Amino acid sequence: MVFRPLVVGTLVGIALGDPVMGAKCGAALEVVFMGAIQIGAAVPPDAMLGAGIGTALAIITGKGPEVAFTLGFPIAVFGQSIKIVCFIVRSWYMGLACKYAREVQVGKMHALNWFGLILQCTIYGLVGFCTIYFGSSVVENVLNNIPEVVMKSLEVAGGLLPAVGFALLLQPMMTSKNSLYFFLGFIMVAFASQSVLAVTAFGVVVAFIVVFEIGHGKSNDMSDEVEDKELEALFDE
Amino acid sequence: MSNFTDKIKQISPAEKKMLKNMFKASFVMEHSYNYERQQGLGFSLGMWPAIREIYDNKEDQGDALERHLAVFNATPHIETLIMGIAAAMEKEASINPDFDKGSINAVKVALMGPLSGIGDSIFWGSLRVVAAGIGLSLCQAGNPLGALVFLLVYNIPHLIIKYCCTFAGYAFGTDLMGNIQGSGVLDKITKAATIVGLMVIGAMTASMVALSLTGTFTVSGNEFVIQDYIDQMFPMLLPLLYTLLMFYLLQVKKMKATTLLLLSIVISFVLVVCGLI
Repeated sequence: MVFRPLVVGTLVGIALGDPVMGAKCGAALEVVFMGAIQIGAAVPPDAMLGAGIGTALAIITGKGPEVAFTLGFPIAVFGQSIKIVCFIVRSWYMGLACKYAREVQVGKMHALNWFGLILQCTIYGLVGFCTIYFGSSVVENVLNNIPEVVMKSLEVAGGLLPAVGFALLLQPMMTSKNSLYFFLGFIMVAFASQSVLAVTAFGVVVAFIVVFEIGHGKSNDMSDEVEDKELEALFDE
Repeated sequence: MSNFTDKIKQISPAEKKMLKNMFKASFVMEHSYNYERQQGLGFSLGMWPAIREIYDNKEDQGDALERHLAVFNATPHIETLIMGIAAAMEKEASINPDFDKGSINAVKVALMGPLSGIGDSIFWGSLRVVAAGIGLSLCQAGNPLGALVFLLVYNIPHLIIKYCCTFAGYAFGTDLMGNIQGSGVLDKITKAATIVGLMVIGAMTASMVALSLTGTFTVSGNEFVIQDYIDQMFPMLLPLLYTLLMFYLLQVKKMKATTLLLLSIVISFVLVVCGLI
């Protein structure tokens, strides 16, 4: 939680010598960004960048918490795209991570993992540095001049990339027979607008029915008894 | 639940150490979050203390590490629950030659959806808002200690729960494995986990993959949005087709995931430039 505006704002305030103002700006921004959290793969405007830059500019210009949001929000939106770029860049060394895993080179895997974090921090640091150094208006101009095409493409790519991850997950599990369940889960969300949680609950019931109920008519009585006993043992309180 | 509490007491000192190390290792989970495997790298690194303890030879260890690099995404605060269960399953796999190792990832996938749903609403939703509320009242008055209060109110329950989850997951997993006598029931559990897992992935494909042709075209002065027509036939058709295309390219054409990532970016760019989106 150290990346939330409450903490970031206060820390920036301490760094600039005005912790009281930092805390006030942090509080104001926390309220605004309260809903900006990452659920699953959906990335919201970046609260950390927005709060950090907003608080810093509010204190430097001496204007107070009211302007922290106006100054910080454009950067927060930019931070959203930066994060997506970060996620995409990190995807590129996953193949290398697999190679290290197979060779049990855990130290190198750790290095890759930390690199991911350092990459993100470095980019954020650069953005922060440039904004404070050049002033927010200059940075805003640069942001506005990034072609709409590039920003939009990144947004669309962000929506497509999870498909690659899911396809990877499906690899060991999906056969032509099993694909039935994949489509069932899909249909429940696409057509019946159920939540993933609802699908899981439903899935557990379906799994039980398919695995334990339907098979019983065909298998012989002996194995039935043994399996029933084992099943009861599973649920013994 | 007597079996379960017994199992917690029965955890040996060596296993306790392993679980504590797993808890410590679990904090790097999000460092390399990416779109291809999400928390996969972090999860594998979190499992390493268990893998190192359970498997002796490098081949099995490498196998297990790679196995746990699979796509994974759960609320970091309760991830240790799944790690504990996975560790118990790996232990069973190392002892029992008939154990289907594929069931481990199937169980992970089946669990990560619902546990994240619960975890996200408890931690990101309730606990964070409560902690922020307390911290906010201090910070709004200009007191920088509010930030510290926020961090304490949030992290003390968080760390306690995360720690307990590691042990709880392991005890639950061991309990589950211990009750399975013949490989017959194991097969059934694997099949059940695969069914739930596939359904959850299907559901996630519909909710997390986004491809919407919001581009418009004009016919005799009227503007039409392409996606509206697709939605009338089959909502979410494009995410479904795209995921299946990725699956086909991976499975049948044996393309590498990195290639598919670049392909996705190129396709996004083309779609935007052509005005389809």
